[in-house]
This record gives sequence, structure tokens and C-alpha cells, in this order.
Amino acid sequence: MGWKIGLPRGLSYYTYFPLWRTFYQALGVEVIESATTNKAILDQGVKSVVDETCLPVKVFFGHAASLCSCELDYLFIPRLISVERKAYICPKFMGLPDMFNASRIQHPPLIKPVVNKVKSDRNEQFLWDCASPFTTKWSKIKKAWQEAEQEQSSHEQNLIKDYQDDDKLNILILGHDYNLYDHYINMGLWKKLQDLDCSIITPAQFSKEERDTQLKKFPRSVFWTYGRNLLGAVYCFMQRPGKKGVLILSSFGCGIDSFIDNFIIRRLIEHKIPYLNIILDEHTGEGGLVTRLEAFVDIIRWRSDYYQDHLSPYGQYVGCCKRDAGIHGLGCDCSTTSH
Amino acid sequence: MGLDVIVPPRPTKDTLSLGVQHSPEFACLPLKIVIGNLIEAKEKGADTLLMIGGCGPCRFGLYGQLVKEILEDIGISYQTIIIEPPDTGYWQFIRRIKKVIGPVPWWKVIQSIQLGYKKALLIDQLEKFVQEIRPREYNKGIADQIFNNSLQMIDNTQNLTELEEVFGLTKEKLWHIPKNEYADVLEIGLVGEIYTLLEPFASVEIERKLGKMGASVQRSLYLSEWVKEHLFTSKIFGLKENEYRSYASPFLNHFVGGHGIESIGAGVVFAHKGYDGIVQIAPLTCMPEIVAHNIFPQVSKKCGIPVLNIYVDEQTGQAGLDTRLEAYIELLQAKRHSLTAKNQYVNIP
Repeated sequence: MGWKIGLPRGLSYYTYFPLWRTFYQALGVEVIESATTNKAILDQGVKSVVDETCLPVKVFFGHAASLCSCELDYLFIPRLISVERKAYICPKFMGLPDMFNASRIQHPPLIKPVVNKVKSDRNEQFLWDCASPFTTKWSKIKKAWQEAEQEQSSHEQNLIKDYQDDDKLNILILGHDYNLYDHYINMGLWKKLQDLDCSIITPAQFSKEERDTQLKKFPRSVFWTYGRNLLGAVYCFMQRPGKKGVLILSSFGCGIDSFIDNFIIRRLIEHKIPYLNIILDEHTGEGGLVTRLEAFVDIIRWRSDYYQDHLSPYGQYVGCCKRDAGIHGLGCDCSTTSH
Repeated sequence: MGLDVIVPPRPTKDTLSLGVQHSPEFACLPLKIVIGNLIEAKEKGADTLLMIGGCGPCRFGLYGQLVKEILEDIGISYQTIIIEPPDTGYWQFIRRIKKVIGPVPWWKVIQSIQLGYKKALLIDQLEKFVQEIRPREYNKGIADQIFNNSLQMIDNTQNLTELEEVFGLTKEKLWHIPKNEYADVLEIGLVGEIYTLLEPFASVEIERKLGKMGASVQRSLYLSEWVKEHLFTSKIFGLKENEYRSYASPFLNHFVGGHGIESIGAGVVFAHKGYDGIVQIAPLTCMPEIVAHNIFPQVSKKCGIPVLNIYVDEQTGQAGLDTRLEAYIELLQAKRHSLTAKNQYVNIP
């Protein structure tokens, strides 16, 4: 008999969709994915959770709610605690099934396996929770999981590519996967940048090994997986040649980014790489975003093409008001003048 | 212990605005206050900064590093020592502590810890007592005055006997405050993030406010309990299971960092004890508390207890908060009266 399981297209979906999809398909379960994010989904999500929650979680709830109206046997909401040693994902991922239970959405039974690799890599309990409603044959589960893991790693391999050092402007977009690949949330950022004739670099283009090695330069261990990805990618990117710019994409109220972005910005300032910090929320006006992107790209181009040394010193406050300098978080250097 | 400890001045609005200037915008309130505080402490002559580390998932674990980088940027250099919790490695823990204490012998260290812990314990006892008195006293504010004076005295004590003496004296004084024993006092449980619970400045003095409005407030966390749980009963001494966790499990059955699960659990405990209401207080963008906030409506529904969620940030306007608290208290009073009225009605045959 055909089982149907719902896979909301939000949060961890963008990182692990090949894994979940292949796993359940190999078990003979029909996987129903929600549509790509649209206005209706976003609105539904905003209604279902408290205001203080960040945008991606709201979007996730919207996706899950949209699936609840389909005829499903189960809804898949994993509790991702940690996917690697000594690193967590985010407190909100940890409470996701509980938050969903507490919301007013009528939903089919949940499958909410716990992924926790902080201390050990054992995954029997997790696999059992995932698959026990559909099959109890251990061999079948193992085989499906193997297949799924293969699919996942080949997906990750495909993302890795070192960029060509051509004359194009290379923009590294630093964002958590669910902001980076959800083109509704990020308002078609990729397309907009490509239209401005930039080539786009994502954190996933650097291999995990390289990111982790580079991350050793950071004096403390970073205990968020997404934070590790971003910070590692920045270290890798700093080593690459070419015309560079970094676009930091974070969601409003993201606790992880509030710290990680600050670390990143400090390192970028040190290396004199220009950055643009874009914070996403429920507002959907695109005009402001386009203006900022254009200005950012123009400035980088001018900087490298014409005025190399005459542009205002990047990342430094050039005025003489001490208080404003403080707000910048930078020392006041009155000897520099702007042009 | 022979170390010169510089106690930063109590946080004020100036502290906060200093901190806000230099911290990332979305960082939580405690970080902003800590940074402001450290800048002020530097002016008083502190040169070494001792921070407790952590290994996630709450942001607190990276405070040390971020504080260090921010302060370096504005030209303030501290010698920073970050003590990781013993969970990440005993030897490192001991080495770091050794680095702090220098040549002081261990027995002396243990003695001072004992004294410090005892102080925290007694202060918490006094505070619980004050919380009882506050809504009942005729002249509002006396209990707080006595309590604040005693804090200074307790701080100055050097050994256990002196400490006991001060404690006894203060308790006596508190006992003699004229109070209305028959006042109709609401019982409110205060839950939330630890820093905002413990630091009156961060919580906009919410306890005092509620006390003045006629509610007796109990917190889910007291400093001495936290110390007991985290320093004395961590891995070395075996079990670290918190009773709140078992109460939280129908609603939230996994650790979410910070005090998210304790907030939920304490809420359930307060509801079982028959409290009138719960106030949750947390810094804006606090991740664990947002999870708890999302779950509280369900707790409220299942246990029949009203919950008020308050987020604090650098906006220090008081009027809005006062209005919300007053409205909340009035609703609770109305609820209580309607309940007693109903019971009377049922009892009369």
C-alpha cells in the first residue's frame, strides 16, 4: 500500500533534501514536497508562530501548514540537534517539532527523528524512528540509508567547484542554506547579481575539509554548524585571487549570525575585502535591495578600476566625531580624509 | 584570595548605551550590558578579564571571544582568561583556574568558594523573604531598603560567623516590618533567561514593580541554585538532572540551549502549585526563549494558567511595561475573584 510522507521545503530541507528524498523513495514511500515558497505560504507561516521567531522558521511553518491540507500519512519534521561532532545547528531547530505541536495547525502524525552527533555517530535509533512506520526490516532500512547517503554526498560533491579567475567580479554570498537557496526569501538575489555581471560563489563551493582546516585559524571552536560553514568559507575566500566582494545574507533576529557576522566583518576589514550586509525579513519590497546591490557592485568596480587609492578608506570611519566613531565600532582616525 | 577584584559598578543607562554603541545590533541584551560594564571597569583599573566559556548552543559560549575582539577594536586591552566548563576537559579546566589563582594554595581557594557560595545562598533566602513581604508591607519600599543595605554588609563580611550574624540581623529587621497579613496577594511565577531574571536592571526591576502592584513573585532560578547545579554537580559529581526537565517533557522534551526547557518546566511547576500567573522575561532575539515562547500558549491552555511574555532590549521606556503589567495583574485579580465567587456559589446548597 502506498504511503505518503510530507517533506516541508524549509530549513534543513535545503541542505539535506537528497538524503531524505532518496531514503524514503528507497523505502517505497511516496514523498510529497511542498511548493516553492510563495506569498501564501509566507503569510500562513507568519500567522502560525510568535512574532519574535526568525523568518526561516516562519517560512518552514508555512510550508508544513500547506502540506497539512494534502492527504498525508505522515509529516516529516526532524529534530536536528547536531550533524557533526561538537557542533550544534541552532536552538530553534532543536525545538522545531515541539514548536510545531504547540501551534494551532491541524496536522497528520509527525515523524520526528532526533539527529544528534555531538557525542557519537551512532544512528540506529534515528533510523528506526524514521523508518519504523513503513518497514521493520532492518536490512531494507540500512540499504535505503546507504543509498541516501551516497546521493547526499554526490550532491555535496557537485556543489564543490573552484571558481575561475576570469575578469568577472566574484561575490561570495554568505547565508544559511535556507536563505541562500530559497529564491523567494532572498528575492531572487542570484538572478539580480548575475544580471549585474557578477559570478556567484557559495560557501558550499569550498570543500568541507578545506573549510574545517581554515577554521583552525579562529581562536575558539565555533559550535554552530552553519556558523562554521560561513566562517570557514570566508577564510577560504580570502585566500583566493581575483576581484572580490562578500555579501552577507542573514535573517532578522538570527542569533547565530549576530555573532558570526561580527567575527566575519572583522576579518574582512582586516583583509580589506568589501562587504554588504543584507538582513531579510517578511518585507517584500525589492527596490531597496536592487539599489543597494547596484551601489555595492559599482563601488567595488570603481575601486579596482579607477580610483584605487583615492576611495575612502574602506571600513574606517573618516569623520572627526568621536561618538560616531564609537558607533562604527572603529577607532577615530582624523588624519584620513575622504574624497 | 589575594586577588584584587574590581566589581564593576551596577549597570545603569550609561552602561547600556556604552554597550549598545559597541556591540552588534542583534546581539542579546546581556552582551551589551557586559561590554558596557567592562568598559567602565577598565576605567576603574581592571586589567584581567575572567569569562566563563561554554560549548553551545546558546550564544553565551562565544561571549568571551566576541567581547575580546570588540574591546580590542576600541583600544581597550584586557588579559582575557576564558574558563571552559569542566565538561570539555578536566585538565584544561584545572590549568586555567591555576593560571587565575597563581600561587594561592588550593585549600584557601576552596575556603573562599565556600564563603562565596554561602553568601549567595543567604542572599537568596533573604530575597525570597523580601518577595513575600513586598506586596504586604504598609509603607512600600522599606523591605527593599533593608535588603539593599544588607547586601552591602554581606559583601563586606570576611568569614562565616560574621555572615551568619548579618543574616540574622537582617532577617530580624525584615520580620518587624509592619505588614498586612490578610492582604489578597497574587502569586506570580517569573521564568526566563537567567541574566534577565537575576539582574534587576536588565529586567527593568520587574519583580519590584509586581511587588508594588500587590503580587508576590517567585523566580524559577536563584543564583545559589544555579551555582549548585552548574559548578558543584556537573560531571565530576555525577548526576545533573534538573527536576524542571521532567515537567517540561510533555511540551518540550529536548534541551534547547540556555534555559528554554527550564522555563517551560518551571511554568508547569508553578501551574501545579496553584500560582495565579506566569511572566516570562527574556532578552530580545534570545534563541532558547523564543522556542519556549512558542510553546507557552500550549502550556497555558493545558494547565490553565495565563502567561505574559516580555522581551527586554535597550529600549528602557517604563510606561509601556507598567501598563502591560497593570493590565495583567488586573486580569489575574479578576480571574481569581470570579473563581472564588464560583466556588462560594457551588458550596451553598
